[in-house]
Amino acid sequence: MAKVYFSTWNGELVNNVGKLEQEWEESAYNLPAQYDDHRDSKAFIGWDGVALFDENVDVIRLAMEYAAQYQVYSEACGRCAPGRWGGQILYDTLDKIARGEGAVTDLDHLKEIGKSMQITSKCEIGKTVPNPILDLMEHFEDEFMDCINNQKASKHYDETIGYIAKITAPCTDACPAHVDIPAYIEGVRDLRFDDSLVATRQTMPLAHVCGRVCPHPCEDACRRTNLDDPISIMALKRLGADWETNHGYDFFHPLEKKPANGKKVAVIGAGPAGLTTAYYLAADGIEVDVYEELPVLGGEVTVGVPEYRMPWDKYLKDIECVKDMGVNFILNHRVSADDMNRFEKDYDAIMIASGTRISKKVRCDNERPEIEGYWGAIDFLDKVNLYEKFDIKLTEDEKKEYAIDKDFVDLTGKTVACVGGGFTSMDVVRCSIRAGAKRVVMIYRRDEKTIIRNTTYEEYHESVEEGVEFMFYSAVNTMNDENDVLKSLLIDKFELVPDPNGGRAQLVKIEDASETIQFDYLIPAVSQSADLDFLPEDWDLDMTSWATIKTNGKDYTTSRKGVFASGDCEYGPMTIVNAVGQAKRAASVMSRYVHTGEITLTDDEVMEDHLVKLKVYDKKEKITGWLPGLPREYSSVIDADFRKHNNEEVNLGFTQDEALSEADRCMRCYYIAMVQA
Amino acid sequence: MSKIVNFTIDGVSVEAQKGETILQVARKNDIYIPTMCYISKTTPCASCRMCVVEAQGLEGFVLSCNTPPTEGIEITTNSNDLEHERTNIMKLYDVNHPLECGVCDKSGECDLQNKTLEFNVGQQSFAAKDIPRKIENWGMINYDPALCILCEKCVHVCNEVIGDDAIDIKFGGYSSTIIPKNSETLDCTYCGECIAVCPVGALISSDFQYTANAWELSRVPATCVHCSGGCSLEYEVKDAGIYGDKTIYRVKNNFEYTSLCGAGRFGFDFDNKASKNEADLNKAIKAIRSAKAIRFSSMITNEEAYILEEFKEKFGMKLFNEDARLFASFMDAYSSISGKKHHSGSLDAIKLCEAAIVIGSRIATDNPALRYALTTASKHNGAKIVYAHPLEDVLMKNTASQLMKYEAGAEEGVIALLANGIVKKADLDEDEKEFFDSLDLGYLGAESNIGEEEISQMIQSFSRAKNHVLIIGSDIMAHPRARNIAKIVALIEKYSAFSVVVVPSQVNTLGVSLINSLDIDEDMVDNVVGYNAKGNFVISSLEFANLSIPSLNQQEGTFVSIDNRVLPTNVALDFEGYTLNDIASVCAIKHKNTIDCTKLLSQKSGFKALNFDELENFLSAHGDDNRGYLLDEVDCKMDGKLENIEDLAEFNGTVIYHSNPVLQFNAYTNKTSQLERDTSLRGSAQFAQVAKISDGETIEISFGSTTIQRTFKLDEDLKGTIALNPTFDIAVDSSKYRFEKSKIVRVTNE
Repeated sequence: MAKVYFSTWNGELVNNVGKLEQEWEESAYNLPAQYDDHRDSKAFIGWDGVALFDENVDVIRLAMEYAAQYQVYSEACGRCAPGRWGGQILYDTLDKIARGEGAVTDLDHLKEIGKSMQITSKCEIGKTVPNPILDLMEHFEDEFMDCINNQKASKHYDETIGYIAKITAPCTDACPAHVDIPAYIEGVRDLRFDDSLVATRQTMPLAHVCGRVCPHPCEDACRRTNLDDPISIMALKRLGADWETNHGYDFFHPLEKKPANGKKVAVIGAGPAGLTTAYYLAADGIEVDVYEELPVLGGEVTVGVPEYRMPWDKYLKDIECVKDMGVNFILNHRVSADDMNRFEKDYDAIMIASGTRISKKVRCDNERPEIEGYWGAIDFLDKVNLYEKFDIKLTEDEKKEYAIDKDFVDLTGKTVACVGGGFTSMDVVRCSIRAGAKRVVMIYRRDEKTIIRNTTYEEYHESVEEGVEFMFYSAVNTMNDENDVLKSLLIDKFELVPDPNGGRAQLVKIEDASETIQFDYLIPAVSQSADLDFLPEDWDLDMTSWATIKTNGKDYTTSRKGVFASGDCEYGPMTIVNAVGQAKRAASVMSRYVHTGEITLTDDEVMEDHLVKLKVYDKKEKITGWLPGLPREYSSVIDADFRKHNNEEVNLGFTQDEALSEADRCMRCYYIAMVQA
Repeated sequence: MSKIVNFTIDGVSVEAQKGETILQVARKNDIYIPTMCYISKTTPCASCRMCVVEAQGLEGFVLSCNTPPTEGIEITTNSNDLEHERTNIMKLYDVNHPLECGVCDKSGECDLQNKTLEFNVGQQSFAAKDIPRKIENWGMINYDPALCILCEKCVHVCNEVIGDDAIDIKFGGYSSTIIPKNSETLDCTYCGECIAVCPVGALISSDFQYTANAWELSRVPATCVHCSGGCSLEYEVKDAGIYGDKTIYRVKNNFEYTSLCGAGRFGFDFDNKASKNEADLNKAIKAIRSAKAIRFSSMITNEEAYILEEFKEKFGMKLFNEDARLFASFMDAYSSISGKKHHSGSLDAIKLCEAAIVIGSRIATDNPALRYALTTASKHNGAKIVYAHPLEDVLMKNTASQLMKYEAGAEEGVIALLANGIVKKADLDEDEKEFFDSLDLGYLGAESNIGEEEISQMIQSFSRAKNHVLIIGSDIMAHPRARNIAKIVALIEKYSAFSVVVVPSQVNTLGVSLINSLDIDEDMVDNVVGYNAKGNFVISSLEFANLSIPSLNQQEGTFVSIDNRVLPTNVALDFEGYTLNDIASVCAIKHKNTIDCTKLLSQKSGFKALNFDELENFLSAHGDDNRGYLLDEVDCKMDGKLENIEDLAEFNGTVIYHSNPVLQFNAYTNKTSQLERDTSLRGSAQFAQVAKISDGETIEISFGSTTIQRTFKLDEDLKGTIALNPTFDIAVDSSKYRFEKSKIVRVTNE
């Protein structure tokens, strides 16, 4: 809801012209009436209409400035005839009217050109820029005619007014890292893979990773869905990265590294959030030291995500790209509270990006970690990946602890139960298959549909193909052991009982349906919590109720000045792209903080947050001008019978044909939003 | 599996193959949809928006150039609404377009002009404030941004077909322009393809600019003579000056489907001038009658080659042409295993492939047409391309997906390793099995410097490919083990999905190799008539001839291209002197015209008994190649035996590699006025260190029995101790392997 003087946003006409302010009707949309802490918005104009928050807005100037954003400042346009010339004509004609030299025929020309742009432009900017302009011409015709008839300038034509514009797209808006998705897809479509990669790296240094293992929330906001199927956005990302790697190019950086400015930042953790922070800070001329507890770089993506999903040599390229920007890494260094106190003196700011590395419990009876066969998911995946990727073998003690004969995780002849339902549990069961386990069972409280929603369709089906058994509506009741050795699990069965009052359906235990099944291992992968005991107690950082570090989710400052947090240790176990997005924003805030001591957001970031609130994607929108029924491409995977015995990358990626036809489906849904503040 | 989609365009039932767009299907069916930015050989630029069409039941227009049809959809290509919007687009294109058609070089063949007339845009109804735009001079290419309509065709061809990727778009709405990518000026190979595809007068040859009107020029369809690519081109000629001498003003190509390198496009003025002098003719006849040998180059037509063969038959002299002889010898060995006289691949096969290996060639400069085919495959099919050579080539970087850097001289070993990786597991016969079993892989790997993992990386990257091509460069021809290499190549072809392309080094190396029975050149000096080559009596279209003959742009006749295609070429400029046929007539070898020999070319070699005038020389509207004809396949005896691999040669110290800079090929390109002549020896810092020379110094290079002086140029793109020695300005001995040990001495000016 927003209080507006006038709005045409998304077809909702709110017209309070001539009404007393207290009688104003509100808009149903989250329009940015308040620009930031110290500024109100006067107007908001965008692809879907225009909203005025103030009676005194110069609507002719507003229309003109919006056209100017498109024509003069926008980097996206000039790529099609209607946009290139049409945009300039819109701007010049509106300016002519606004300065008091307009003619009635100019209005006809605006309508004519506006209509042609709406119909024939290449991208949505060209198609939508005329929308709010035509709205203003329709609803404020008097003001336009007044300027024309009396050959006078519009009411604030010569004043200095602040207009703040931002280009977005539904997919970009939905991506936590706000990747310029249409640009990287355009790079694929135009076979300019360097441009594609640079577009990605502007906000996301991990192009190989997020082109492979991202759960792609962007695809849920793809406008193509309104027509047929969403674009395979994620898979198109890796083309640029693979191209750079295959052709042996030096890294294509989106920005040139600035000269050193004497500022220093410590980053705790070399996972996605730490790497991202380091990359953008280093590019800004700040010296960055990244401290990592593990003997290897990359965090959970390295030791958590298995080789068959994310080949290490590819992730290494992303890491080397960060290194190439000039970042120092200190491995095998678990920071202590003393370190943190020292860092506070030695560095201008600290980023905590230590992730969530403690496996939570299943919460069943007799759940004692000392029972042989009880193995936390994070620890299990560490051991699998350190061996598969780095040839780091199990120590004698570890072999004893995990009851394994070989010096790597070999589960030949063993039975494994995993409790989970998220990505980590999928990694556990599929790694168990590859480790030779006789039987692998995923125990899950809910149904198939939910597990797919929480992971991906591909992940679920591929694990079924590889032989993982899924036990739905089930939960572990008790661990049965003999002399601290796991023997079996008592598993309860549930059913979903609808609430007669129409509320949420409840899971109800089915009496007498429980069964005892023999298992050698129980691997809990329900969730993870943050391991933050390196924080000095006297810092007393504010924490969330989930025991993660609390920030406002906008600038990622903690309750202690100069200390920032991002990624899973801030949000709780979440996605790579979420960590990257948070860290990118945090790096931007930090890059100013180290110089000024102030916490600020750029206009672009303020607008970004407004747009997230407003929501750019409209799933009800009717799409015109595109032929529906063009199917989404799916890349091939290697055969299940082959892949379950090795660690080869399962997904082969798109062939060029597939990539090109997928890229051609992209509708380039760029939009411009502008605030008059 | 190709899936066919049935739909209708303007009520006509049509079908689309998988991947085809509505526009492509329309064009295939001769249905007109106007475009300003579309070019058949690239991905759609999609900037003009003229090609919008209507689809039954759909609101709005659909862009036909990048939309594949769906089953049963009914497409309408014309309606009042479409006409209205297309007209508006043309009105927009015309806003502030400079009214300089009177002097613009494009006038008369300008897409903007044509479409403005087509849509009857007679006045400018919309206004925009114009902005100053600066004309750029990029060497051989001028750019006028005021004329530019930002169609992006130049950007697309440069990146997707040529591979230079040297043009970028500077975004900025109405002020958008094209700019050199990552550089102040164009950093490219100056193929001039951007000029060719430019629909307006924005990109123009600086040499041609303001010299002629398009409609004054007459077009002579011909075949490029600078390499064996067999590119089609048109010489555009006009009478110039007060004496009215016919002059070539420029070269154009059918850019919609074919490409041309800068040598073809800008290197056209290599014609020869002479008049008839009977005394000279008589001397020539005398020289031939008493000649023990005729030495000739492959820069001749099939018909000239045929007449030379007739001389041999009649007078019994020997014929020397090491370039063609070694090529023939290689192909003979290849045929002895493959059973086929001609190699199986072609440039089109390369364009369509998903996997390719190039070995033994600095291909980007040896044969630009082949490079463009590789670029096309790499970009459009995502082809994995292994570039195997002792020297990296920066021009191949964005095309090659794997550089396999072997030691100079190790080609036999490398081919054996490749064969071992590719066909070892095939159903081989006993001899072949034994060949592979006898390979000392450890030795070959170590001496050639090709690791096992490089081979497996290659096999892995080829695993999803359907069409494979193996490209054998001219380094191999003069390799002492060329014949065994040829047999291994044939073996790879026999047992794998690879087709083979053997790159002939000169325009008609392949034709000569099929027509002439060549003798080993004994380096004879006396009683040797040189025909466009060394001799003690020289008949040549180049300088210092005892008798001048026409150059290749002054003759009609045929060549055999790398595609095994017999291509006709025509007379662009008249020649006043004598031709080989004139000499032959006096020697009682009677042909009314040289081209009477076209139909006489041996059918045993695959030629057809067709008259020259029966040969077509055009591409169809859909791009089908109707030039000349393809050689017939000829079966050969499969009696070849693989030999074991010999010890690999070693090349230490300062080695030179005979290789030309961009746009230079031979004495003819050297003669032209527009092409840069960089005769310097180019080498790496390491080479400079070993040779004890530095950038810009004058040096003396000795190799074999030759000593030449050159300037040394440090090339940051090179590594190692092999330097590049141009050959276009010196007579090159084709019988020598292209890598040679050399002695380098700094020349001190005292």
